[in-house]
Amino acid sequence: MPATTLDREQLGHLRHWDNLSRQQPNDWSLMQGKGYGQDDFGGYRFQLAYMLYGLALAHRHRLPAAPGLFQPMMQRLIAKLLLPEVWMYWRDVSRGGSVFNAHLADRLHEEWDPVVRDNIMYSAYVQSCALLHDHLFAADRYAAPGSLTFRHWSFFWGGAEKRFTYDRDSLNEHLYWQMVQNGYIGVACEPNCVFQICNQPAILGFRLHDLITGGDRATEVVAGYERAWADFGRLDDRGHYAMMVSEDSRAVRANDGPSPWVDAWCGALMNTWNRDFVREHYPRQVAAFLVPGTDGTLSVRSAPAREVMGQQVVSDTCDTGWVAAWASEMGDCTTLEGLLTHADRFMHPTWRDGGLFHPRNDTPADADGHRTEIEPMTGNVLLGYARLNVSDGLWGLYNRPWGPEHFTEPALTVVDRDVEVSRAEVVDGVLHARMRRIGEVPGEGTVTVGRVPDGARLVLDGTDIATTAGEVVVPVPTGPAVDLVLTP
Amino acid sequence: MSELVAFDLVDHHGTPVTAETYRGRWLMVQFGFTACRVVCPRALAKLDAALDGLRARPVPLYVTVDPDRDSPDVLRTHLEAAHPRFTGLTGNPGQIERAKQAFQIFARRRPDAEDPDGYAVPHTAITHLVDPDGRRVAHWADTVPADRIAADLVARLAVADVSAAGSPPWGRSRRAGCRCR
Repeated sequence: MPATTLDREQLGHLRHWDNLSRQQPNDWSLMQGKGYGQDDFGGYRFQLAYMLYGLALAHRHRLPAAPGLFQPMMQRLIAKLLLPEVWMYWRDVSRGGSVFNAHLADRLHEEWDPVVRDNIMYSAYVQSCALLHDHLFAADRYAAPGSLTFRHWSFFWGGAEKRFTYDRDSLNEHLYWQMVQNGYIGVACEPNCVFQICNQPAILGFRLHDLITGGDRATEVVAGYERAWADFGRLDDRGHYAMMVSEDSRAVRANDGPSPWVDAWCGALMNTWNRDFVREHYPRQVAAFLVPGTDGTLSVRSAPAREVMGQQVVSDTCDTGWVAAWASEMGDCTTLEGLLTHADRFMHPTWRDGGLFHPRNDTPADADGHRTEIEPMTGNVLLGYARLNVSDGLWGLYNRPWGPEHFTEPALTVVDRDVEVSRAEVVDGVLHARMRRIGEVPGEGTVTVGRVPDGARLVLDGTDIATTAGEVVVPVPTGPAVDLVLTP
Repeated sequence: MSELVAFDLVDHHGTPVTAETYRGRWLMVQFGFTACRVVCPRALAKLDAALDGLRARPVPLYVTVDPDRDSPDVLRTHLEAAHPRFTGLTGNPGQIERAKQAFQIFARRRPDAEDPDGYAVPHTAITHLVDPDGRRVAHWADTVPADRIAADLVARLAVADVSAAGSPPWGRSRRAGCRCR
């Protein structure tokens, strides 16, 4: 059983995600990485999606009785995921012309709809995030027609509004048929480039859709995926995850670097449905990337930036963050602690508005050679994700879903912005929560306890509070954390 | 999934057929190729089993993804010997490509040393159900067993039977040129 009381750092990451989710539309402060145009692995879509995945993991495994803390945050993150700044790169990337597929550029065209073909590196996140929300909260918010709409209009250029309407079901259906039509090898990211990594979120999405609506598409897709990749091998000649396969030539691109992010990202996600395989290869793979420091600290050795066509590839690799996330999924506490200790010592942990993050730093190393380089994806998202995850956290989301009884138990159904929740779980029918009112952000300082049974006894910090069946609004006093106990 | 499907092919008697040819009838559509050693024999046998006990049956069609080898004669000989309920459909490569697109079928030729001609055509093994209006309304993955397909067909076609006011769904609009059983 994971610890069910969050520590200061875990709470700080949750607060930082809450703060980022509340930024004004199109305010991407603290989230800009090195790459231009949202092309690379540090793009907003990845930061938003993995904040949401981290929230899902924290809710499922750490604070299961605090839906009111997580649900609004997830909704705000999904709203941001739909903003044009996040997906408009596809208008350009859809035309092809990358070094991998320059030969296709003359038959591709500008495509505005960001999910209609290829681009699984975006579409699967919209799909899986919406489904995570609806699954974890027994909701149908994203089943509503048009609830996942991609819209853009400019006063300055481009003519009529671009509007593409989907919902969780139509998007899931669309991705499923793309997968079928590609022989289950996966859907491409950039045209012609089918990455193993980016098809894993779609598989998670199929599983969640099965859980919500019935059916067994995830099993079908996984079986097809296994058969399709058997032709290529999921691992390359050196035992690292094959990065991608070209749709037309069926040429496999190995993890040449080898780059830590390829193995770590793929391994963390693939653990959902392929745990034994991932765990079998993890120890050898991760050992290739770790650099021991003093006092048990560990850092990650990135592969040198590649040069292609005389150009150095500028990209946020997010190597440190992905290896930490991978180690957390594997339950490798030694590696995770080593990485987090290194980050806290050399990567400038920063507190702002009650939130914890590690700000972007492009300097590779300090004078003593300690890695200091960190990207927004790692500093905003992945280190927090790794701290909040538990061993087999994603596996649990996929394989140990909540049953309907979960949604009948008492829970914190509304949590004001200025209330910090470090414990929220139901043990033997009794709701236990620990809360603190913080002063760094505005708020009303209350929580609402919902699904309260008739005659239940509610005790806050040792004092009885009158209850009625249904819900009770509880003021959280300023000062140290207080415990709430609701006994049926 | 409820799109109108369109195709323009030749049946295994050499008669040109389109989606319009079958309008008014339920279709069960399987793609494959006659030289397929594992997937197609298993799928066709399963579909035969699913259809065995049914009173109201869809028209079973078997569309080749290997038009270079699967001429009408080859298809007819193959199906009449082992799966006589099925009508085979073929066409030129362009016609087959359009049919694959209509049903979102993956198929891709690859070398196969065990095949006398040196190649196989791995393909999607999903079975599609097309309603009398020509819309894809259901599908079954390769892993779905015969009894579940049969149960789904009973439910689907029985509902249609009632809505058609007594007219059997498999015979409401027989068209000239269609030789399906």
